[in-house]
Amino acid sequence: MRAPFRLQFEQRTETPKRLGILVPVVSVFAALIAGALFLLATGHSVGDTYSNMLSDGFFSSTGITDTLGLSTVLICTGIAAAFAFQMNLYNIGGEGQLYVGMIGATWFGLYFGENLPSFLMIPIVLLGGALCGAAWIAIPAWVRARLGTSEIVTTLLLTYVAASLVNHFIYRSGSYFRAPNTMFPQGRQVPDSAMLSPIGDTKMYPTFFVVILLSLALHWMVRRTEFGYRIQVISDSPRAARYAGISARRTTVQVMLISGALAGLGGATLIVGSFQRLDPGIVTLGYGYAGIVIAALARNNMAAVIVSGILFAGLRSGGDKLQISTDTPIHIGVMLQGAILLFALGGEAFRRYKIRVVRTPAVRVEVTA
Amino acid sequence: MTSSAHEGAQGPHHASGAAPVALEAIGIVKRFPGVLANDDVNFDIQTGEVHTLLGENGAGKSTLASMLCGLYQPDAGRILRNGVPIELPSPRAGLQHGIAMVHQHFRLVDRFTVAENVVLGSRDLSFKLNRRELNDAVAAVADTYGLPVDPTATVGDLSVGQRQRVEIVKALYQGAEILLLDEPTAVLVPAEVEKLFENVHAMTQTGKSVVFISHKLGEVARISDRVTVLRNGCVTGHVASKGQADAKELARLMVGRDIDLAAQRASHPIGHEVLQIRDVNLTMNGVNVLSNISFNVHEGEMVGIAGVAGNGQRELADVIAGLLSPTSGTISIGGAMSTDRGPIAARELGLAYVPEDRLGVGLVPSMSILDNLLLTRDRNIVVDRASVMPEATRLIDEFEIKANGPEHMARKLSGGNAQKVLLARELSGGRTATKLLVVCSPTRGLDVGAIETVRRLLDDARSAGQAILLISEDLDEIMSLADRVLVIYRGAIVHETPGETASLEKVGAAMAGLTQGSA
Ligand SMILES: Nc1ncnc2c1ncn2[C@@H]1O[C@H](COP(=O)(O)OP(=O)(O)O)[C@@H](O)[C@H]1O
Ligand SMILES: [Mg+2]
Repeated sequence: MRAPFRLQFEQRTETPKRLGILVPVVSVFAALIAGALFLLATGHSVGDTYSNMLSDGFFSSTGITDTLGLSTVLICTGIAAAFAFQMNLYNIGGEGQLYVGMIGATWFGLYFGENLPSFLMIPIVLLGGALCGAAWIAIPAWVRARLGTSEIVTTLLLTYVAASLVNHFIYRSGSYFRAPNTMFPQGRQVPDSAMLSPIGDTKMYPTFFVVILLSLALHWMVRRTEFGYRIQVISDSPRAARYAGISARRTTVQVMLISGALAGLGGATLIVGSFQRLDPGIVTLGYGYAGIVIAALARNNMAAVIVSGILFAGLRSGGDKLQISTDTPIHIGVMLQGAILLFALGGEAFRRYKIRVVRTPAVRVEVTA
Repeated sequence: MTSSAHEGAQGPHHASGAAPVALEAIGIVKRFPGVLANDDVNFDIQTGEVHTLLGENGAGKSTLASMLCGLYQPDAGRILRNGVPIELPSPRAGLQHGIAMVHQHFRLVDRFTVAENVVLGSRDLSFKLNRRELNDAVAAVADTYGLPVDPTATVGDLSVGQRQRVEIVKALYQGAEILLLDEPTAVLVPAEVEKLFENVHAMTQTGKSVVFISHKLGEVARISDRVTVLRNGCVTGHVASKGQADAKELARLMVGRDIDLAAQRASHPIGHEVLQIRDVNLTMNGVNVLSNISFNVHEGEMVGIAGVAGNGQRELADVIAGLLSPTSGTISIGGAMSTDRGPIAARELGLAYVPEDRLGVGLVPSMSILDNLLLTRDRNIVVDRASVMPEATRLIDEFEIKANGPEHMARKLSGGNAQKVLLARELSGGRTATKLLVVCSPTRGLDVGAIETVRRLLDDARSAGQAILLISEDLDEIMSLADRVLVIYRGAIVHETPGETASLEKVGAAMAGLTQGSA
């Protein structure tokens, strides 16, 4: 039997502007509907779950400030991923660079903290974290630029090494990073001068604004500067870059180092913020991996990462609180995040193709006779 | 397979005596956002004829053919098959009416064999393929029309010409009576074109009809029984029968004005040496790509390098442009050594380079015209687009580039306009005034109107005193523009002659590597 109609995909020559906004919005709603079906199937109240999630994530004063606080690190790892992705460099090891950024930030904090004032210490710790994040990606960057080795594999593998490093520094007795004379292995707290205090009664730190400004600055850099111009040329056509005397190798290394530095900075914001010490718990949180999703949602646009980062943070923090406020398992939040990503990426098809419904008429079998 | 036996020609405007009309389109209209691609087009195909659709790029040829095969739906108009109105909601429906199209961009699966590609999409395949039978069936169809293909070959390994043959075999295997060939010669080398024309004849001999789409006048005049000319979506003329097609008349119908492609030579005496190449050798991966190349190009002179593709032309251009370093030998531009100093140094000495590939090498497809103008220029740390804007607007105007302004994306330009952007950038100088222009295949794939413009631009640059190195496979072009013709064969210059008195036979023989015998 034939269906009475079928769907035909027509490639668009141009994507209408409004779809750029419409597709992500519709995707989020579609994901919420999919999530609702899941909630119904598992016997939870859709209304309660969603209203709790939304108010805990966005629409209450503690909810939104918690979200913005959490978004700080997520925007960092988001721009880290987006910055590399836009040149088709798939740094998926932001997670590892974040760990090393934390290690570095902690070291700078512990080493200089006692002697220097806070207004010097905070920049030092943040830059130290960024520097270490960049160092962690230096080898993948170099082999990619020189030998063309896939950065996907190298950056991912180094994430596991970084995780072991974190554990090593905490669990090895006598470690510089380990708090002395405690029963349980625990990180040593950085001195006060290397810590920021939260804004008012919230979980937001001033680093949030630093990260927002940084995203906007990078957005501007990509669009307006010679460096951004080179990135655009190389990502679109490496052969045109060669023709114009633009060195793809050098730019590859530079872009990857910046990407690693941004992820490392994300780790450092945790140290000067809520963590205050190297904490092995970080390896279960997946902030670095979340950056990949956030970048994909923002289609690698640095400014849009701010929005997708906050959205993601809200879902996450709202989802995490579900367990406390209702009996809904925490996995609902995780599932919703996955659904949103799936729908958002699936929505790409609508941006690139026009979908037409074609009626299939009864087919005449005889041809010409 | 009985269509030819049936009388279907009931159209009132078809005189008696002609073969029956196999397919007729009446009053076809097709609109795309912002363009009227087909405006009230009438077109018909008789059984056993070659009917050509001629028109410049963007005239609406592919659109019309796509509607005739069921890929697009017309907004208005009717299609008759043997006089009977039909609906073509999909290419599959087209096939059921015996209509198939070979698209400009092939639709083959690289990893499948020829036979697998040919039967792909056939509904009546049994679940388990019997390869032997399949291969034999495909080979049988291919042999009938003298189309040599190996059914067991993997499509990914085939040349473009061979892939096209697979597409044609596929159409025939699926029972096509009417074949729509969309610019089939665009991707072929001359020998392959001859072969294709033989195949087309073999097909029309057995009562198949062929719609041949092209914008190349010479071949159209040769192969067509009838020609319909399209311009801006409208039919501008029909030229009746074989032999009558006059290239000049066709060109006028196609472009809408008279076209002049007469020979042009340097009108001023030539000046100082600008490009000096001495004993250049290039070895890549152990292969000698260039051997002992030495020649000069002077101010106001155009030197043409003729040769069959793949004889080292591309590398020669890259060596001059500083993109490749020669293994030995020297290059100087304007008296200064440029060997081994890279592309930017070469440009600072006055080099401009129009590479063979426009989009992807010469131009960045996703960037605007404005940004593409900046590609070979000096850019500040903060790219100052505002200050280049007036110049971009001026160049678009001066070079008659059809675009919505400097922000128009390069990818959306037609081939001719992309080439004009490239020439505009390279001729207008960037880091310094252009002294030496290296151009590769500047008119390949362009339609006559654009070819005329590009040739005029090159001639103007020569008159303005620039030294030009024209590297092209198009022998006609070299013969009618170059003041001096060099022939490259296997990386060596094997023949040199003044352009004015060059003999087509001698140059052609040199290109084929026959110099020793004829000298
Ligand atoms: N799928 C499409 N969507 C929008 N515009 C199109 C599409 N296909 C063709 N056009 C436009 O229609 C016009 C005719 O195109 P086409 O039929 O491809 O010309 P030709 O084959 O003669 O070069 C052009 O202006 C082209 O840009
Ligand atoms: Mg076409």
